[in-house]
Amino acid sequence: MNRITHKIYIYTLVFITVFVFIAMAVYGRNYYLTEVGLRHFHNQNEMLKPTGLIGHGVGIIGSFLILTGVFGYMIRKRIRRFSRIGYLKYWLEFHIFLCSLGPVLVLYHTSFKFGGLVAISFWSMVAVVLSGVIGRFIYLQIPRTIQGRELSLNDLSGIEADLYTELKEQYHVDDEILSRMNEAIVSLESRESKNFLFHIFQRFYLERKLKNQFKSELKTQDLSGKNLRKVVKLFKSRTILKRRIEWLSTMQRFLRYWHVAHLPFALVMLVIMIIHVTVAVLFGYKWIF
Amino acid sequence: MKKNIKHLILFFGLLFTFSPVFGQLSPGELSKAHASLEGLNNCTKCHVLGDKETSSKCLECHTEIKTMIDKKEGYHASLEVKGQKCAKCHGEHFGRDFKLIHFDKDTFDHNLSGYKLVGKHSKIKCVDCHKPELIHHKISKRKDGNTYLGLGTDCLSCHDDFHQKTLSSNCTSCHNQEAFRPAPGFNHSQTKFPLVGKHQSVKCVKCHKMEERNGKKFQQFKGVAFARCTSCHEDVHKNKFGNDCLKCHNQFSFHQVKQLSSFNHDRTDYPLRGKHANVDCKKCHTTGNYTKPLKFNRCSNCHEDYHKKQFVKNGSSPDCSNCHSVEGFSPSTYGITQHNQTKFALKGSHMATPCFACHKTSDQWNFGNMSTRCIDCHDNIHKNYMDARYIPNGNCKTCHSENEWNQISFDHNTTNFALLGKHKQVTCQACHFRKDKTTKPIQQFKWKKQECTNCHTDVHYDQFDKNGITECLRCHTNENWKPEKFDHNTARFKLDGKHKGLACIQCHKTISQGAKKYIEYKFKDISCASCH
Repeated sequence: MNRITHKIYIYTLVFITVFVFIAMAVYGRNYYLTEVGLRHFHNQNEMLKPTGLIGHGVGIIGSFLILTGVFGYMIRKRIRRFSRIGYLKYWLEFHIFLCSLGPVLVLYHTSFKFGGLVAISFWSMVAVVLSGVIGRFIYLQIPRTIQGRELSLNDLSGIEADLYTELKEQYHVDDEILSRMNEAIVSLESRESKNFLFHIFQRFYLERKLKNQFKSELKTQDLSGKNLRKVVKLFKSRTILKRRIEWLSTMQRFLRYWHVAHLPFALVMLVIMIIHVTVAVLFGYKWIF
Repeated sequence: MKKNIKHLILFFGLLFTFSPVFGQLSPGELSKAHASLEGLNNCTKCHVLGDKETSSKCLECHTEIKTMIDKKEGYHASLEVKGQKCAKCHGEHFGRDFKLIHFDKDTFDHNLSGYKLVGKHSKIKCVDCHKPELIHHKISKRKDGNTYLGLGTDCLSCHDDFHQKTLSSNCTSCHNQEAFRPAPGFNHSQTKFPLVGKHQSVKCVKCHKMEERNGKKFQQFKGVAFARCTSCHEDVHKNKFGNDCLKCHNQFSFHQVKQLSSFNHDRTDYPLRGKHANVDCKKCHTTGNYTKPLKFNRCSNCHEDYHKKQFVKNGSSPDCSNCHSVEGFSPSTYGITQHNQTKFALKGSHMATPCFACHKTSDQWNFGNMSTRCIDCHDNIHKNYMDARYIPNGNCKTCHSENEWNQISFDHNTTNFALLGKHKQVTCQACHFRKDKTTKPIQQFKWKKQECTNCHTDVHYDQFDKNGITECLRCHTNENWKPEKFDHNTARFKLDGKHKGLACIQCHKTISQGAKKYIEYKFKDISCASCH
């Protein structure tokens, strides 16, 4: 899958998720905004209530997507026999897609009514999703090969040098600017904060500021249009790379801790979901079956 | 990872140890009405395992609904609800405060309840009827009455019986649901007293009186006496004409009287007598309103004063009946007796004189200001002929009497010419209406000189005239024309001798002198030779 194809693929998945979220929100906005006590009398109740045709359906489909996403990714990742099937990166992306779209559907299955035992399952699911988002962030901070193998610090330094050369030689960026930018990027490292989250956001803020500064200086270098964008992009890549190099060990540590949270919530969610489904089936709620 | 699994096992161990957690299998809290069914053990009291169906379980408890459905009564037996699951409308597990009975009062089709809302019922609020005090049948589980069940469909289950059981309980046979008043279904013509004429427009309350009965307003509709008109209407005739008003009146107007021919006017205060019996009713009841009281104590109430107030005295007229009767205006009943009470009592010929002779001297009768003077009625033929003193104040009674005109009773002695002798025997006319040569009587009561020749003819042709006057009484008396008073010895030629034995005629010869033919008594020459 080349870069553009991949991009289209990713955007498609995102679009599907966002579309489903928005479509359901638009379709059921009146019902979902109705007070819980009055929903029973809403004309969409028969469709959108948790046991309704759509409400129950999205629950079942969402659950199925979650189970597929979780177990598919787990099998690919943990069972050796399947370890060579496809790139892990793509599996992860599809895992994220299924486990984003699934919870979205489950969210509409709950009809935003969170009570009883199954609420534990739901909130566990929410916890898994949120931790997934954080995990995805941490995961992104650790540079990898396309196969998902983590890159070493040396690999990263080499890439950074290549970027610097490319800026200087291919786009003839002024040495003075480059050296000043280098100094600025280096100076980002020295800033430390006791609050880690604040530190992260501060870093992003400073990087953005630096990028804009670099962009305005480049404009004085007769660079414009496509070349300007490419150079700015290169500079941005360089700052990101620099950040990742700096945060590498920290993020690797975070990722280990993260697994401890992500998986148990998923298990709690699954177990209670099974109970929930069992009780529902026991009482005759079999959807269309 | 093993640690995590241990934590998980611990988590679920704790989860299932506490029963309340199992309770959390419920999708939500039950409503207040079903709160007693809360708990894991009670699920199957409402739910049928393996089947979503709960309705059969619902109806096991809610027998009141089941009964109504079986009896095909009420909203739950309607086509819209029949066959539906209870849970479709009556949701559960939505919390304690969830209202199980919820419907849009504005759009609810009440027809489905088996009681169609029409008229005013479709405009009032639900709670106006569905209120605890009107719930007659406590069939609802909600004993507090806060329910839509249990309301009767008959009018009286909600409305007060205004008629207080005096009428049928089937209110709609008269009333509709728009308003209590009027009652358009009520048709008075179907009652024993169909409304005819004015009765149709009279207000109900005029006959059906409002009263207070049992502490409430009440209008009597049943048992209103109607057999007789006088049950409602006042008998203005005070029972003079009996009870059956319709004999004369009808229902269209009290004043429109029918069958006048059979009306017995004798029962009124004014029985029709005489000519009145044949007069057309409208001649008196001019307005056509026979019931409008008419004044009848005076004839002039109806009749015009023919005499045009000629009899008015002191501002008032006597009633016509003083002179006239109902048998006819004419003849008058006014008689001599009454006339004699006037200042001009009728006597003599006046008694036989017809009224009009005096009172109708022109086209019009005249009774007012009648004069008592004779000359005002009678021609004074003596006018200019007789001294006025003999007709004092126009009164002829000095000579005439009322008994007979020609019977003169004049005392001639009151004149300068007392009647003596033969004068007493002659008629008045003989002197006063002497006929002249044309036989036309010449009236004369006055003479310049009192001479016999005023009346008598001087057959002697002024032979005895002395100073222009021939005084007959020197020779004659009033008794006859014999010259009894004549003494020949007082004459120039005294009789003596043979002359005494002679007949007068032997000396006094009749002579003719033209047309004159007379005896010559006075000789110019008394010498003997004049005869001898």
